Amino acid sequence: MADESAPIQVPPSAQSGPSGPGGPRPQGRSGGPGGPAKRGKRSFVRKKKVCRFCVDKADFIDYKKAEILAPFLQERGKILPRRMTGTCARHQRWLTVAIKRAQNIALLPFAAEL
Amino acid sequence: MEERQYDLIFICRPDTPEADVDKVIATLEHAATEKGGKVEQVNKWGRRRMAYRVQKLREGYYVYLVVKSSHGEVVKELERRLKVSDAVMKYLTVRLDEELKRQEKLKRHRERRAARRPRKAATATPAPAPGSGEQAAAQA
Repeated sequence: MADESAPIQVPPSAQSGPSGPGGPRPQGRSGGPGGPAKRGKRSFVRKKKVCRFCVDKADFIDYKKAEILAPFLQERGKILPRRMTGTCARHQRWLTVAIKRAQNIALLPFAAEL
Repeated sequence: MEERQYDLIFICRPDTPEADVDKVIATLEHAATEKGGKVEQVNKWGRRRMAYRVQKLREGYYVYLVVKSSHGEVVKELERRLKVSDAVMKYLTVRLDEELKRQEKLKRHRERRAARRPRKAATATPAPAPGSGEQAAAQA
């Protein structure tokens, strides 16, 4: 099976050579939209992250609710960056303030102890 | 002057008896009213594990107050009392009225927008009407 499929794949690529530099490639791609993903060149599509607070339509992030803030901390207590969590700029700004307040009253750690 | 709202959280040592905690709260309320402020809410969260050690203790008795006043003198006095009190390990005062005002504003803004262009609620009902109209036009 594998021996058969390999020779079959070769001819199209050989054809693409003479037909032109631009033309054949898109044609090969168009043959299978799902194909390129399987082939591994773009093996994954990044999932779009959505701001959790925008989804909840939060106008205010309460520093007293440590359980809401905790997922935005790293294991050792650092605040996770926006690029990791997908939080929007405005809510990240509110979030950092809330986290820092919670830290001050020992609801959240400054740095987790070992 | 407009009224300010503060959140005041303090943590007592976990071994303080309930009566002593009540005493601290009572003195704070008294001090607040004396200075022209008001303690609006008292909420005892009770014993809670702290995120880090404070005075070598892992637990604390949390008390949450909402204080309203028109000037900062009240907070100054309350914080002084908390500092003096032996039972209190830690306290935090946060001025919240401006943030609450912002919250209100955003909420009103959102509601107004929802009223002006009802998106989700309206699309379900008026959508069929224009659709059928187009169909009718196409048929005609």
